[in-house]
This record gives sequence, structure tokens and C-alpha cells, in this order.
Amino acid sequence: MKKHSILLCFVMAIASCAGGPDAGTITSDESLRIFPDYSEVLIPCNLAPANFMIDNEADAFYTVLSNNGQSVTIKGQKVRIPEKDWKRLISGGDGRIEVNVFIRRGKEWAAFPTFGINISSDPIDRYIAYRKMPLIVQVYNSLEMIQRDITCFDEKVYFSNTMVHEKSEGTCVNCHAFSNYKTDNMQFHAREHNGGTILVIDGALRKVNLKTPMTISAGVYPSWHPTHKFIAYSNNKTYQEMHMMSHDKIEVLDQENDIVLYDIENNAISPIENDSSEMECFPTWSADGRTLYYVSNHYESPFDSERFDRILNDRLKLHFNLYAKPFDPDTRTWGPHYLVYDAAEKDSSMTWPRESPDGRFLMTCISTHGIFPIDQIASDLFLFDFKTGNARIIDEISSPYAESYHAWSSNSKWAMWSTRREDGTFTRLYFSHIDENGHFSKPFTLPQKDPESNRKLLYEYNVPEFQIEPISVRPEDFAKLISESDAIPAAFESKRETDNDGNLTTSDYRIDGMTGASVQK
Amino acid sequence: MKKITGKLAAPAIAAILWAILTFTQSEVLLKTSDLSLFLFDWTFLKESFMIPGGFLGWAGSFFTQFLYIPWLGALLWVAMLYAAGHLTVRAFGIPSKLKALAALPVAALVIANMSLGYGMFIMRPQDYFFAPTLGYLLILGIISAVRKAPLFWEKTAIIAVSAAAGFIVSGVFALAGTLAAGICVLTEADNDCAEMNNGKKTGIAILSLAFCIAAPVLLYGCFTRYRLADSWSMGLPSISDDEWTVRIRLSYWFMLGLSLLFAALMPTLKKAVAAKSDKVRFANVAISIIAVLSVATFWYKDANFKAELKMSLAVDRSDWEEVNDIYRQVSTKHLNREKKALEKRKAAISVTGTPEQAQFVVKEYEKCFFQPTRLMVMFRDLALLKQNKALDTAFTMRDGAKEQKSLTQIPMAFQAGRQLYMHYGLVNMAYRWCLEDQVEHGWSYGTLRYMAAYATLLNETEFAAKYLGKLDRTLFHRNWSRKQRPLSADIQKMSQELPYREIIPYMSFSDRMSNDLVKCETYIMKHFAEDRDAVASPEFDRAALLWAMRTQNINLFWKALSQYLSTASDINLPKHVQEAVILYSNLEKEDLGIPIDKSVKDSYAVFNEYFQHARFSCEAEMPASVWFKFGNTYYYYYYFIRGLQTF
Repeated sequence: MKKHSILLCFVMAIASCAGGPDAGTITSDESLRIFPDYSEVLIPCNLAPANFMIDNEADAFYTVLSNNGQSVTIKGQKVRIPEKDWKRLISGGDGRIEVNVFIRRGKEWAAFPTFGINISSDPIDRYIAYRKMPLIVQVYNSLEMIQRDITCFDEKVYFSNTMVHEKSEGTCVNCHAFSNYKTDNMQFHAREHNGGTILVIDGALRKVNLKTPMTISAGVYPSWHPTHKFIAYSNNKTYQEMHMMSHDKIEVLDQENDIVLYDIENNAISPIENDSSEMECFPTWSADGRTLYYVSNHYESPFDSERFDRILNDRLKLHFNLYAKPFDPDTRTWGPHYLVYDAAEKDSSMTWPRESPDGRFLMTCISTHGIFPIDQIASDLFLFDFKTGNARIIDEISSPYAESYHAWSSNSKWAMWSTRREDGTFTRLYFSHIDENGHFSKPFTLPQKDPESNRKLLYEYNVPEFQIEPISVRPEDFAKLISESDAIPAAFESKRETDNDGNLTTSDYRIDGMTGASVQK
Repeated sequence: MKKITGKLAAPAIAAILWAILTFTQSEVLLKTSDLSLFLFDWTFLKESFMIPGGFLGWAGSFFTQFLYIPWLGALLWVAMLYAAGHLTVRAFGIPSKLKALAALPVAALVIANMSLGYGMFIMRPQDYFFAPTLGYLLILGIISAVRKAPLFWEKTAIIAVSAAAGFIVSGVFALAGTLAAGICVLTEADNDCAEMNNGKKTGIAILSLAFCIAAPVLLYGCFTRYRLADSWSMGLPSISDDEWTVRIRLSYWFMLGLSLLFAALMPTLKKAVAAKSDKVRFANVAISIIAVLSVATFWYKDANFKAELKMSLAVDRSDWEEVNDIYRQVSTKHLNREKKALEKRKAAISVTGTPEQAQFVVKEYEKCFFQPTRLMVMFRDLALLKQNKALDTAFTMRDGAKEQKSLTQIPMAFQAGRQLYMHYGLVNMAYRWCLEDQVEHGWSYGTLRYMAAYATLLNETEFAAKYLGKLDRTLFHRNWSRKQRPLSADIQKMSQELPYREIIPYMSFSDRMSNDLVKCETYIMKHFAEDRDAVASPEFDRAALLWAMRTQNINLFWKALSQYLSTASDINLPKHVQEAVILYSNLEKEDLGIPIDKSVKDSYAVFNEYFQHARFSCEAEMPASVWFKFGNTYYYYYYFIRGLQTF
């Protein structure tokens, strides 16, 4: 307490010298409202300035930030901290920035209780990539794939679909994924006009068509194998409908789902799971690459023209469970799958599993039903702690609105996810630190140069992923590939799978993507 | 005298144009403004630099907002056009005897805007009204600047800057200006550089061409929002439909082409003018007439379109009386003429020998009779329902499904989806069409207002704040926004204010999954037939009954009637409901004992009696003939309004 009083006196002294609050300053009896809320959060030591604005009404604003004997004073409702000053404040790793906010109404200055911004010595990956897009229902136009340096405010469009729109023929871009947090091996999909999956393989560009006659769609939700040149994809036949009267506006549903493996070097797709009574989706590799997690909903219904209507009617009963399937990457051989979490038993639906790179945690989305949590207010994040065996909803970072697409930083210390907590509809990116006990710190949002920008922004952030290096391929090179190259058709290969006794249960064959010729291997 | 006439011609034409725009096109101007957006916001300005020509669009949007006050917006535009005409003469050095040439690019600009019609709903972006005019002024500015620069290096510098910086701010307009300036130097239209040697002139012309080709290529790496191949059309308005784009851009290409042509041919033209003054005078008059006639010919004229726009603006204000007045006026404007046409048609039919010939005559006369578009009927019914007059009067007015006078039919959902859905309480579908609209055409005042209203209705305060925050940064919609803000945070207050208090009663239905498949009318019809909650409001049941009557499905009518009776406060059935009851009871030969007024019984008897004796040459003759006798009854609607196409 004494320490704080001394600090406050020190702050007042600085402030009065700078034409701010003076000795007559009183303590405000209202609570401080700031946006974004950075009070008592834990931020990484290399984060961009945590700019915020003060929402309390006043004639003048005065903020003093101090740490390590350094202090910065900012006048004005928007607290935009110069990057140099910010670096001084957060230097030295662990620590706490004390923030004192004063407001003036008329001639009277009032001080709010000090709050802190805690600094973690665990750094965060320097880059994140996301899709920035307006709210859409069916029609899309401008979709930008962006990489942001989160140690500062630099944002770079690495590709925009408007670079390849031709007259009224549009191209949708989605689902970027990066191998081991690097960008020399990455992928995203271009759909519809000039469509194909765009791959960067060791820096070289390739456009492939992952739809084969034997699979229900091209690759959709991807996961790069951590040690080998494989990507696991889901295959989806996706539809959507509008809610007529609900805060959940849209319901995205799949009519069919399977999961497949794409062997990059052989340019071949092979099935992983394609049981017609199961809807398998969201494959994701374990950190060692020897297990594939995925979710599946058991659904028996004929594949006729009424199937979608039945799915629509049954939508509240669609509950996806979490499964795992062993994999030997050297022989590309699968073991039998097993149930990890029975969400259906709890009338829940589990989606988007992602394992932390250190292999300790697995985070998923959990909601009441269905496969598309981002459009469900009820969606929360769920954590499996493989060290303790705990499995729980992460209450400490949940909000009344949808929490969805999440990613782990490469050091497994930070989680990033998209959430609609700010207004219920626009997704924003939030971060949180996880400690040794598997507890998350208070979430904070991606800092912006103008702290008000997320309030004003009529775009949302989508599919956030961490990277440790910038994307080196130029936007125009992606555009050229998409516009001018035909997608190379992938071949189809049979699955190699063993039963519980380790006996191989499948035969080896390959159907060439170009010629359609079948070859027994 | 001639000189005075000549000097007054341009201001007079400008004044006439302003008067026409102000007094006959105010709804077009207002709607144009409503479909656009300008924010007093730094980010909004920064965003404009994301594509070449974006800044021109920003400036265009700035002026477009003034169309909210039609006389002012029209004045600004006409002033710009006037300036464009005046500067065209000066920039190209057009001889005074052939000044009318300057009217041609101006006419192209007028045609581009005023020939749009339904195209206004699919324009992308929505700054098209002023941006091309500003772009043309920039072309003239570049030409004048190059002309005024006396030295070779000065001209070269201006050309380089106008190609590069100009391309960034105005797209193809700066390139056209640069190229035209280069040609002017080469062809000596640029008098000020007559002393410059031919080598230098050729050099400047080649440089201007090279800059025009190279600037977009070299600058492409700075942008990420368009295709390289589209570089040379950046800054031009486009339409989210290829066929429309070609048509709309013709005017602009013509205007840009004229700039190059003037630059290339002006010296030759000057010599010709000096030699043949009589022919020149004739040519000057002829060009003026061509310009005026072109504008008159291509100017979009359609009473239904204008009525739709007026009704739409009234719907936005929840001014239902106004909606009905507009419909009444447009549908009864030519009643006497229609009666005469009917007589003439009767006479023409009487001399035909076969039903096929009679049908041909009927077809010939079809255009003489008023027919509304489906949207007009939809707006009218909505207004009548809101006034609780629909079940007494909806079928007293003309019905129909006249096609839009348009290159392609613009779906009702694009044009008025958000309005119809919102006012019928189908708020999520209104949300959907706001989003579809903003994705296709960018945000507009209209979509922002409807999104804010949507969020307010659903009590999503923070979400509403997002859109209200944008409207706070506008010039003419900030007051609306300020009034809405307290409503968005107070559900009680909101439910007592317009339009919410009139929308909430229609929200008597449970959630289900649905898709309108871009067919508004069909969707609304199906909604009222199927989605009623166990407990509904009288407003919902009134609408459900009207829509059931519109389906001409007898079973649906009885079901809707029983629901209506469960919530109606007045035990006397409205006129059209009684008409439907008597009609359907007779058709089904079943008397349910529902009390029917004598006047209705009499009118039904007269209707039946008439058709027992009436003779027509062909079936197609009947609707228009009978309308004057029974057009105010539901029986007429049931028998003669069939197979309407909605979209």
C-alpha cells in the first residue's frame, strides 16, 4: 500500500509538471472504463504497444505508464503509446506496467485506481496471419489474407482475392495453413473461378486440384504434418441456411464429410476415414506427427436428395466426438481409430482440435451442436491437459459470445483465438497465456495503432495462425499462379491401414490424376 | 443579339438541367445518395487509397452526399458540368464558333448517370454520380497544366507526375489526361509550345504514352485489390454484372475517347473553322442538337421506376400514407385515357374474326393500361397492412407484375429486400440482405441504418453501436443516429418508437432455418402461411390472411381466417375477407354461416350475373374490360390476376 502511495505521489509530481493533474486531484468514485481492456492482463514481452482509449466522459485525459523507473505520459482520450517508449516500458522481461489514469471535468482532476499491465518473459511468435473480411452470408467480394507483425503494427496483405476476380467471376480464398510456424511451406485454397489449392513447397509455388473422382470434395480444413511432407484435409460438402429469428444468424452444415491425406511429394490423395455413416472432420496432427485427431458425428441417412433437409431438421442432434488415429509417417500406415472424448454423451459437439507444440495440451471448441462453432453464441474453448488428465471448458477466457478458431504459439505458451465478445457478431483476435498449471491468464486483444479501430472496423478476423517469419511470396506471384496456371490434378491412392493386431488390411493402388489410369502397387 | 444568345445558351441549358433534376428527378437523386456513403473519418480517406482511382471515388462520395438535398446536389453537379464544358473549350482550344463540341463529353457524363435506371441498384462502387465528372475535370486540368508549362522539362515533369500520382488518385482519368496532353503537344493544339521543335514534341507525346502504359504496371506492386489487366479501367464505375458494365462504360469510353480525339484533331478543326464559317455555324447547331437529343433519348424514363423509388423512400420513413398516395396517383393517373383506350380496343376487337385476332389486338393495347411492378404491389400491401386497411382495400387497387424496364431484371431482394423483410419482422433476412448488399456494393447510408435498426430490434446494443458510430460520422444521417442510440440501449423505449413498434408485432414466429433463394415475395408468402407461432399478434394474423388471399389457395384461406378470428378485436369481417368468404363458400358449395354484409352479397350477385351474360371475343380481353366494373373486389383478383411472375 505504501509502495503504491509513493508511486502515486511520484506520478502526480510528473503529471503536475506536464500540465496535468495537480495537488487538488481527487479519487474518482466511478470505475475506469477502457477499451480494449488491458487492465491486469499478462502480455508477452515482445508485444506491440497496448494502446487503449478511455471511455469515461471527461474534458481532459491524462495517463501515466511506468515501469522499471521509466515513465511515459500520454494526454488525450486515446492512449497511443509511442513504440520507442513502449519498448522501454516492457524491456527486461517479467514486470508490471503501472497505469494511472486521470480525467478532468471542469477544473477538477480525478484519479482512477492504478491498474497494471503484467509482462511475461515468454515471448510470442512475431507474426500472425488471418483473413480479414466483411460479414458475409452467401455473396463474397473482397477477402484479404493478411500477415501482421504483432511486435508492432505492420500489417501486410499477402494475398487478396480481388487480384484474381475477372469481371463477375469471383474467387474465394480461405483456410491458410503453415508448416511448423514457417512460411516456406504453406497453403491456402482458392475456390470457384480459377480454383485450386495453392501450395508453397520449400519456397516454390504449386496449384493443385485435390478433388478426385473418389473423394467428395477438394481438400478443405488442412493440417500440415510436423515432420513429413503430408497434409491432412477434411472433405466437406458444406451448405448454410439462415436462422429466421435468432441471435445466431447463420447455420453452416455439412452434408458429407471425410478426411484424407495429401502426400505432397507424390501429389496423391488417400483416404483416412470415409465411413458413410460417420461425418469426419477437422483433422489435426499431434505434435510428434504420430497421431491424427479428428472429430466425427455418427449419422445414418441415405445419400439422396432429401439428405440435406434431414440434416437440417436434425441439426440440433449433430454432436461431434473427438477421435484419434495412430499414424506411422515413415510407412504412411494408419492404425485403427479410437474415441478420445464422447461429447455426444454430454449433448455437446466438439470441433477444431489443436494440440500444443509441446504435446501437453489439446484445445478444441465445444458447443451445443453442429460443426461450425463460430456462428454459435454457445461455443466455448475446451482444454485437454494430457499431463494431468484434466478436460474442461476454459471458463477463465470464455465470454457470453462465440469463441472459436484457435491456435497455439510455437512455444506453447500463448493461445490465440477468434471471439465475438466485443459486439456479439464481429470476430476479433484475443490472446491468453497458459501457465504450468494449465491456467489461462485474462484475455487481451490484438493491439491496434488506433485503439478505437476495432470498434469502428466493419471487418472481422478469421482463421488466425501464428508464424515465426514473414511470408516471402509476393501477392502478385500468388495472383499469377491462380490466374494463369491450371491446377494439377492429384492422384488417388489407397489407404494403408492395419488392424488392432498390426496386420495390413488394405491393398495398395493408385489412380493417376491426369489419366485416370489405375495401377496396382 | 447572336452573341448574347450564344453566351446565354450554356447557362440556360445548365439552369434547365438543374430544374429538371430538382423538380422531376428528386427521388432518383435521393436514392442515389442513400445508396452511397461518405464518412468524415480519417480511415475512410485512407481506405480510398487502396485502389487507383479510390481517391476520386472518395471525392465523388463527398459530393454525392449532397444529393440528400436534391436541389443542392443537382446544383453542385450542374455547376461541375458547366465548368467541364467551359474548361473543355479552354483546355483543347476549341474555336468559339464550334463551342458546341464541348457539350459532347458533358452529354456523355449526363447520359452515364441519367440512363442508369435500375442499374443504380447494382452499381459498384456507389460514388459514380460525381466521380467521373471530377475525373473529367482532372483530365482537363492536366491538359491545361501541360499547356501552360513553357519548358520541355516542365511539361515532361507534369506528364510524369500526372501519370503516376494521377493514376493513384484517379486511375484511368489521369492516364487519359496525360495521353491527351501528350497528343496536344504533338499536334500543336498546344499553342504555347509552338516554338518547341518537333523532336521534343514527339518526345513528350511518346513519353506520355509510355507513362500511361508503364505507370499502372510499375505501380501494381503497391496495390493488392485488383487485377493487373484491369489497371486501365481503374477509376471507372462498374456494375456487378458484365452486360451492364459494358453498357454503362460506353458513355465513359466515349468521353475519354473524345478527349483524345479533341487533342488529336483540334488544329485541323481550327483550320477548317477558319475557312468555312457557314458550315461551321450549321455544324455547331447540329452538334448542340445532337447532344441535347442524345441526353433526351438516353435519359431513363419509367413511371413505375420513379414510383418505386418514391415508395421506397417513404417506406424508409414509415410514411405509409405517402406510400399509398404514390401508388394511388400512379395507378389512376391515366384512367380517362385508359377508358378511351378500352373503347378503342373494343371497337378494334369487334372487327376481328377469330379469337386469335382478338388476342392480337388485346396484346397491341396492353401497354395502354397501367400495370404495377411486383415491388410496387409489395410496398402498397405493406403500407396498407401497417395502416390496418389491407383487408378492406388491397384488392381495390390495380395489381400486376410488369417487368422492369431494364437491361436485366434486378431481383426485388437486391432492391428492397432489407426493407420488406425488416417491416414484416423477418429481421434476420433483412440482416442477410444488408450484408449481401454491402458485400456487392459497399456500405451505404441505407444499409448502415437498416443494420443499426436490426441490431436495435434484437437488443444487440454493441452491435448497433458499430453502425450508429459510422452514421455519427456522416453529414445528413448523424441526427438519425443520435436519436437511435438511446433506443438501442433501452428495449422499452425502442418498442414504443417507429419503426420498431410497428415491426415487433410481426415477429410472432419461432426460429427455423430457411433460405429465400433470392425470391422475396414467395418467401414472405410462405412465411405467413407456415411460420405462425402458437400465439400470434393481430398484425401477424392480418398479414397472414392477406397473404393467404394472395395465394388464391382456398384451404390456406380458411386456416388463416380461423387464426385471424382468434386474434381480431373487431368481429365485423373486413370487406375483402367477406368477399373471399362468399366466393370460396360458393365454390365449395358450403355455407359456414359467417355473417356477410348485404353490400357484399349484392356485389357478388352482380358479379355472377354479369358473367352469365357477358360475351368476350377471347379470354385475354376480359381482365381490362372487367376491371372497370369489378376491379375493386376480391372476386376480380381471384379470377383475373393469375400467374404473376415474381422475382
